[in-house]
Amino acid sequence: MQHRIDINKYGPRGQTMAEAIQSCVHCGFCLAACPTYKVLGEEMDSPRGRIYLMKEVLEEKLSIEEAQPYLDRCLGCIGCVPTCPSGVRYDELIVSYRAFSEPQRRRSLTDSMARRMIAETLPYPSRFRKAVASGKVGKLFKGAMPEKMGAMLGLIPTDLPVDKPLPPFYPAKGKRRAKVALLSGCVQTVLDPDINWATLRVLSENGVEIVIPQAQGCCGSIMMHIGEEERAKKLARQNLQAFRPNEVDAIITNAAGCGSGMKEYGLLFKGLPEESEAEQFAHKVQDITVFLDKLGFKPPAALPEPLTVAYQDACHLLHAQGIRNPPRNLLASIPNLTLLEVGDGGLCCGSAGTYNIEQPEIAHQLGQRKVQHILNTGAQAVVSGNIGCLTQIQTHLTERGISLPLFHTVKLLDWAYRQTN
Amino acid sequence: MSLQPTTLEELQEMITANRSLLPVGGGTKPALSAASNGATRLDMSRLSGLIEYEPGEYTFTAYAGTPVRDIVAALAEHGQYLPFDPPLVERGATLGGVVAANTAGSGRYRYGGVRDFIIGVRFVDGRSQLVRGGGKVVKNAAGFDLPKFMVGSAGRFGAFVDLSFKVFPEPRAYVTLKAVFPGLGPALGAISSLFTAPNEMDVLDLEPLADGRFSLIARLGGLSSALPGRIERLQSFLYAKTEAVSHEVIQAEADAALWQQVNAFAWAGDGLCLVKVPISPKRIPLLENVVHGLAPRRRYTAGGNIAWLAVSDIDSLDAVLNTVNLPGVVLFGPPGRPFIGPRPGVSLARRVKQALDPSGKFLEI
Amino acid sequence: MNDQPFFSALQKIYPKDRLLTQGVQLLAYESDALTSFQAKPTAVVIPETQEEAIETVRLCHQFGVPFVARGSGTSLSGGSLPIKDGIVIALNRLNHIKKLDPDQRIAVVEPGVVNLHISQAADRYNLYYAPDPSSQPVCTIGGNVAFNSGGAHCLKYGMTSNHILGLKVVLADGEVVEFGSESLEGVGVGPDLIGLFVGSEGLFGIALEITVRLLPKPELYRTVLAAYNDLETAGNAVAMVVASGLLPGAMEIMDRLAIKAAESGVDAGYPENAAALLIVELEGEAEQVETEFEEIMEVIKESGAYEVRVAKDAEQRLQIWKGRKGAFSSVGRLSPDYIVQDGVVPRSHLGKALAEIDRLSQEYGLDVANVFHAGDGNLHPLILFNGREPGALEHAEELAGKILKMCVDLGGSITGEHGVGMEKRRYMPAMFSEVDLETMKAIRRQIDPKEISNRGKMFPGGEAPALKMTGMHPLEAQGIISRE
Ligand SMILES: Cc1cc2nc3c(=O)[nH]c(=O)nc-3n(C[C@H](O)[C@H](O)[C@H](O)COP(=O)(O)OP(=O)(O)OC[C@H]3O[C@@H](n4cnc5c(N)ncnc54)[C@H](O)[C@@H]3O)c2cc1C
Ligand code: SF4
Ligand code: SF4
Repeated sequence: MQHRIDINKYGPRGQTMAEAIQSCVHCGFCLAACPTYKVLGEEMDSPRGRIYLMKEVLEEKLSIEEAQPYLDRCLGCIGCVPTCPSGVRYDELIVSYRAFSEPQRRRSLTDSMARRMIAETLPYPSRFRKAVASGKVGKLFKGAMPEKMGAMLGLIPTDLPVDKPLPPFYPAKGKRRAKVALLSGCVQTVLDPDINWATLRVLSENGVEIVIPQAQGCCGSIMMHIGEEERAKKLARQNLQAFRPNEVDAIITNAAGCGSGMKEYGLLFKGLPEESEAEQFAHKVQDITVFLDKLGFKPPAALPEPLTVAYQDACHLLHAQGIRNPPRNLLASIPNLTLLEVGDGGLCCGSAGTYNIEQPEIAHQLGQRKVQHILNTGAQAVVSGNIGCLTQIQTHLTERGISLPLFHTVKLLDWAYRQTN
Repeated sequence: MSLQPTTLEELQEMITANRSLLPVGGGTKPALSAASNGATRLDMSRLSGLIEYEPGEYTFTAYAGTPVRDIVAALAEHGQYLPFDPPLVERGATLGGVVAANTAGSGRYRYGGVRDFIIGVRFVDGRSQLVRGGGKVVKNAAGFDLPKFMVGSAGRFGAFVDLSFKVFPEPRAYVTLKAVFPGLGPALGAISSLFTAPNEMDVLDLEPLADGRFSLIARLGGLSSALPGRIERLQSFLYAKTEAVSHEVIQAEADAALWQQVNAFAWAGDGLCLVKVPISPKRIPLLENVVHGLAPRRRYTAGGNIAWLAVSDIDSLDAVLNTVNLPGVVLFGPPGRPFIGPRPGVSLARRVKQALDPSGKFLEI
Repeated sequence: MNDQPFFSALQKIYPKDRLLTQGVQLLAYESDALTSFQAKPTAVVIPETQEEAIETVRLCHQFGVPFVARGSGTSLSGGSLPIKDGIVIALNRLNHIKKLDPDQRIAVVEPGVVNLHISQAADRYNLYYAPDPSSQPVCTIGGNVAFNSGGAHCLKYGMTSNHILGLKVVLADGEVVEFGSESLEGVGVGPDLIGLFVGSEGLFGIALEITVRLLPKPELYRTVLAAYNDLETAGNAVAMVVASGLLPGAMEIMDRLAIKAAESGVDAGYPENAAALLIVELEGEAEQVETEFEEIMEVIKESGAYEVRVAKDAEQRLQIWKGRKGAFSSVGRLSPDYIVQDGVVPRSHLGKALAEIDRLSQEYGLDVANVFHAGDGNLHPLILFNGREPGALEHAEELAGKILKMCVDLGGSITGEHGVGMEKRRYMPAMFSEVDLETMKAIRRQIDPKEISNRGKMFPGGEAPALKMTGMHPLEAQGIISRE
């Protein structure tokens, strides 16, 4: 599509944005994959429409404020990227656009307070834990934006699991086959510390030695996602220092969003001195399922009883990282387990970072759709590779008064391995 | 009165000079082609002949007055055919008549009817203007699809000059399987099972038998080496999945003769009116209930999607069709009133009539 | 004229979130898949019921406000381009499959239903909806009806029109008519009104409910991919297949540039260095297909292909088709802008037509990628250009015009399936006489006396005089809408 964007105005990211817009031919193929379009059926709420609006803003024909409501509704689920035959990097476009527009937009006081709270709490496990434990999250939100309270509170358990700090090192069982570093993450460690422990056990079981750099922090992808670029860079820098990519075979993540975010470190530091270091780092990042699938994993033992599970593709695994088969391969290898496919599986569940808080209505509709599709499979349990999806599904199942066990892929695998011991 | 143009110009002059015109081809469908009270027959048979036929192209253009018989023969020389089995060919049906009356034989089932093969038309409208719609290539989306619109138009909108069609390669061999069912229900059940089955049939007719039973008649066309296997498979399907009680396989000359008879409406007998009623399989029981006494002979073609009713009394049938809300068109019968039963969409047709024939040169629709 | 009463009436029908009037909202509806044209409507309405749509059309008729129905906006000819000073009626929420009856092999759907969703819904009965435009994961049945859309698999069972059995439409003056039925015979009695409405490009009104025919899924596909060293040989191979008397379900060709696009777009894994690829697909009952397959392989062997691949399973078949179906959009990777043409030539002239396109491409110094429905002679030359260069669009359009003229000269058509829309209006006189066009317009005026339905499309020049708005639009005055 033709554009008249003055690239030089937008710094190192101008080129990225202009290229994405230019390669869009307005064919509309992406409409089919976009969750907000499915719910709202409006052109402004489709990838094609958003690209068009961003183009108009960058061409200075439209104000940032006018376009904002529609761009804010984008989940960043990246569902549109793999469906685009023209190869438009919508993911790079929206992240870059948000980084450009965020500092310039006017937000209401309550809005910016809430964002600040998110930015200063979520990425820091200890603060987040404290905030939740002391009920402050609730209070803060009550004061800041009462109408959005429900969504946030609905997602946060009132009693948190006990903190189980990770060791700096975890040995491989038997002969060492590989050495990796683990990103322990932020929100997930607070909400479900067992996922990391399960990851350590599963890796170790497969002869992998793990280092857990103690100086690491949040990967910064939530901040990237919401356009808080400087905060994201700060967090990323911390990790660039904490990890030593050259000394490990991979940097392992077990949260879809973190994996896809860290793979974008290169883009984050585009044109900055850290760029090449960031690129190197990004190349080492691997989701736990991909790593195990490639390494060749030890066949797990049979589950005590037959179990049917629905596998829910996390957007940031499937769309952002193109990870479809590895988790399925792992799960399918567990004897006594039957894997079921969820209808319209590529459609986002509505969790997407802070989306639940910012667009509660759409998030709610998407959550309900997802749960319906999952129930249609008749599965006895739900598995996903991302805590956000699991929480979202849990909330919407509860809302319907249904209880189904939910597992992170690694936890199910860990469980299966432990059947042998 | 009857007029007989031999050139386009003559045709245009005749339309300018007359009114209440009824274009007529071979006159094989008298209810549509016999002129009644004051109408003037416009005999199109002299505008005849194949204009263009390129076998490699699988298309032809012919004058509307061309006997279909000639076209069928020309196509057959190259192993090609009109898959919808135009009926009454032996009796002298013309191409224009087939289009105007929208008549298709049993072969309509698989690939469609007249509307699905016509690609172009030139006609003189009520303003004596020569109008072209469509084209001569198999695919064409430019302009309104007037060729399709003219299918079934019964000479009410203009007189066709020439028509273009696409054609298909004719199957190299055919076999027919006739299966008997104890009643209508089981026969319709078989149709619905066949509808989602992989077996491909060129024809699927349903025929009431004198004793209250029904037979389903399927014709398979294709490569001869594959046919025996396919017919066997269909046979086992019918016995395994439906309530077929007996069957017979008809081949070669017997097969050809059977379908020639069917497509000539020989089964309808003489002296009865013949009416076509589009229907859907689920409504057949309803129709059967109400026409049982009226229509001594009936046949359903296209997998139960077209009813052919041979009746003695058009007025009673008209009333009945109105009660079951099914439109019908009379082919054999008294002239002047071809459309019976309800007339869905007629207001739209009248608007088109107003555009093409504002002063009523042709009969009212 | 005064628009205030019109807009107040709209406000009575639609809540605020379904009556879009803000500049930014309208902007998103400015173009369809042909971005060389843009026009901002004064409003977009999103009906959720047929009654709302009918009421809207009646208001438009009453107030003489032009409207454009819009499905997914994937028209490649500017069909769903809004009309300045008119409104857009977006049908995306009229998207329910109202009935799916496997016993009669039909479905009754609303116009906003996406083409592919019908097949997905019919799948459990082993049925599918046959017409498969490449845009089928996104384009709507309403749009397909308006344009009589076709696809790769329309060779055997026909285009959209051949699969529509019944329609409920609201005509441009507000009358609601229903014709056709659930019968395979469709209209069957009287003139074929479905034939007339399908392909009328939205000039008669809006289709509100559509009865479509479903087909049983072919039991077996045999998909052959043949690579050639030049385009002409591939073209001749098509003629050979056609002459063999076999009836493939699809026959498609892609040239070097299109292959390159498809490779970069969807990693199709096509044979390397091919100047042309031919895809031939047989479909149907297993035994028949297997026998046909033996014959077709003989033909392909003799056709001069240097590499022949046969899809071994469903996945390989999809892989072959993925490249073909994504080819248009993939061209976006080769060039910032392109025009897709849609001319048809008699099949026996394919070779000649392709050679002429090649010559024209060189003469104009513009790359042309060819990817097309070879089986029915429907060309899709994609003319690549860079719209940033001054005059480039005009230059490309001139080339496009020459290609269309050639198609007509060879006895073909200016459009096989994308419709005339905005883009090909001016080529209509090349195909039709003044009388032909005048007659079509006369029909249109009988149905839409004020010419409000998709005004300005299909017919050359003859736009009705644009509605004159004196002074500020009432909603503009209230600050509800703004126009740049
Ligand atoms: C990448 C790509 C590939 C394509 N491939 C093909 C192909 O293979 N074959 C093909 O034929 N086309 C193809 N197209 C063109 C396009 O997809 C078709 O024309 C399609 O039918 C348009 O559907 P839509 O829902 O997007 O309609 P829109 O673009 O929204 O509208 C198209 C026209 O239909 C009218 N309309 C929409 N709904 C209704 C209704 N309910 N009643 C009356 N009028 C209505 C509109 O006013 C407009 O004039 C392709 C397009 C793209 C972008
Ligand atoms: S699919 Fe790609 S090229 Fe097509 S409109 Fe969407 S982003 Fe643009
Ligand atoms: S990222 Fe997701 S929500 Fe955003 S435009 Fe793409 S598909 Fe839609």
